[in-house]
Amino acid sequence: MIQLSQLKKQYKEVVVLDVPTLEIPSGECFGLVGNNGAGKTTLFRVMLDLVRATAGSVTINGADVSKTEDWKAKTRAFLDEHMLLAYLTPDEYFETLRVIYGLSVADLKLHLDKFTEFFNDEVLGKKKYIRDLSKGNLKKVGIAAALMGNPDVVFLDEPFENLDPSSQIRLKKLILKEKENSSLTFLISSHDLNHVTEICERIVLLEKGKVIRDLRDRSEMMAELEAYFTG
Amino acid sequence: MFFTLIRLQYLKSVRSTSFAKSLLTNILLGFLILVLLGYVVAIGIFLKFILEKVVPGQDHIALVNSFVIYFFLGEFVYRYFLQKLPVLELESLLHLPIGKSWIIQMLLTRSFISPLSIIAILLVLPFSIQVISEKYGAFGAVSWVATIALVSWTLHWFMLWFKQRFEDSLIGLVVVFAVLVLGAGSSYMGWFNLGEMIKPLFDYALVSPVPLIGMLLVMCGAYFLCYRFYVSHAYLEDLAEEEDVRFVNQSIGFFSRFGLAGELANVEWKLIIRHKKSRTFLMMTAFFLLYGLIFYNNPAYTTEDGFSFLFIFVGVFITGIFMIQYGQLFLSWNSANFDFYLNQKGGIEALVKGKYLLFLSISLICFLASVPYVYFGWHFLLIHLATFLFNVGILVHVIIYLALWKPKPMDLNKGAMFNYEGVGAAQFLIIIPMMLGPYLIYVPFSLLFNDYIGLLALSIAGILGIFGFKRLSQININRVMTNRYEISSSFRQEL
Repeated sequence: MIQLSQLKKQYKEVVVLDVPTLEIPSGECFGLVGNNGAGKTTLFRVMLDLVRATAGSVTINGADVSKTEDWKAKTRAFLDEHMLLAYLTPDEYFETLRVIYGLSVADLKLHLDKFTEFFNDEVLGKKKYIRDLSKGNLKKVGIAAALMGNPDVVFLDEPFENLDPSSQIRLKKLILKEKENSSLTFLISSHDLNHVTEICERIVLLEKGKVIRDLRDRSEMMAELEAYFTG
Repeated sequence: MFFTLIRLQYLKSVRSTSFAKSLLTNILLGFLILVLLGYVVAIGIFLKFILEKVVPGQDHIALVNSFVIYFFLGEFVYRYFLQKLPVLELESLLHLPIGKSWIIQMLLTRSFISPLSIIAILLVLPFSIQVISEKYGAFGAVSWVATIALVSWTLHWFMLWFKQRFEDSLIGLVVVFAVLVLGAGSSYMGWFNLGEMIKPLFDYALVSPVPLIGMLLVMCGAYFLCYRFYVSHAYLEDLAEEEDVRFVNQSIGFFSRFGLAGELANVEWKLIIRHKKSRTFLMMTAFFLLYGLIFYNNPAYTTEDGFSFLFIFVGVFITGIFMIQYGQLFLSWNSANFDFYLNQKGGIEALVKGKYLLFLSISLICFLASVPYVYFGWHFLLIHLATFLFNVGILVHVIIYLALWKPKPMDLNKGAMFNYEGVGAAQFLIIIPMMLGPYLIYVPFSLLFNDYIGLLALSIAGILGIFGFKRLSQININRVMTNRYEISSSFRQEL
């Protein structure tokens, strides 16, 4: 599904990302953890072709992301508010995406119905621009948008940040349900070890741009991560 | 404490990224301000000679006194548009254990340090030294100048209050409009003579300190009004103007025929309507439709046969002002959500095409709206048609091409006047093709044959451009695609 080879990102002399090889099979829920400045967001940005890789390549379904654009049709991401049209209301934003992804009105309604509980009546039908929403609600809009239109791959950067506890639990349920119903590949970065180990069957630990642990064993994940982060 | 705050202000302006990045813009802007102030001083110095030449033998002091009020009416209007409110810095200071009154006083004092505050003095001081001191002595001269300066400063404080109180509301615009009508009405239409009504105040200032003291009190009153208002409104909720969702369903149905590009044109239209800066640009477009009135009926530009060269330029402006002004900041408008477009399949292409669609549509509307100029002569219709074709066929591509040279991020919620965010060297360079481009085609044909053949050449060039639209727009789309990493990383930076 996704392959990284000899990937490197360098700002002048400083190497911020150095991943010789990494493969993410289809349908996997891939968790990315690491301290601030470890390069999690940069890695996602390089994988999404938002930042140019200094060397190496990223391929999604066999296509080099920097050479073609076709992979974008089935790839969604929500990294930060730059990926939203903040001057629209949430309803207008979903409507715009509906046209872009070529969905029918019924498709959109079906999709948004899945989020009724998650939105908690604070997102849809409000006369408020996205830029005026609270951080948590803004995140909800971004996540719901990233799951629209039957994607193959979804990138989420810190999806649990800024959400209230009940929304965090609802989001976990949503992600698990999506995984069950389709062979969706998730890439999730998070500081919340409990959540990320609960939904992801594989956790990669990043330190100074390098992959230093690649954990697949669910039973040992938590203990190993805790050992690393307590130092 | 006061000095700490002053130092913070200084650091803020020096360290802001826009300052460092657009040094050239700042230098040019500073130069522009100096030139404008230079003009003011020159007018001040030559006022005496101008009056001697134009109205010899009259009492010039009395004449100036009766005209001073019009200067203040003008000042009211330009202050309304230029003066910046000092509230933006408030957010970062409000939570600190510094008294609100301190912060407000500091912000108000800082707002006073501005070229606008010395314009009145620069303008009347030379005249006062040359003429008034001769007749009324040093006291009269000083008292007169001080009275005028105090009126100007009263306007400063009044405007700070007025703009914050009524900004973006209809009342504000109505008052400004009323001031304009008052000024024009009193002199042109002869309803009443405002100048003569106010004149005694300044006449009296020549011989007595009473008006000076009176104005001082009025200014203190205005300062106090302003200060009270700001202190009682020093809350985040009052400062962040929350806009109602206006025009909420204002999609343009016509655009939806153009697929993805049309959808993004619709989204862009919403962006324009919902941000202060872009709204101002749109309003200017409507305003520039009247630009022709200055030139078309002016005897100075009437020629024996054909028409003045200048009209081509006016025509380019009237039909293309939106693409020139809005287009020069082409991608900066989307700087806050450029990643959104990058992340969609064909998103960049659709974004650029959507913008083209918008520019061409608005240009067409401007052309249609300019048809009534036929009143001044049929050739104006031809001029507008030719310049319209040139604009949509060729100029639009040139502007976008140049605008794509190192686009910079900008905040769309700040006002448009004297706001040079997003402006770099490229935006100044755009003026060259805009001014020269049409003449390059028009002049040879106009000189060889006649003015109308020149227009024909301009139109044909435009039509050829329209036929080559796909290829020409593809150049610009490819330019965005190749520079996408640089553009998106510069847009992701903080302003």
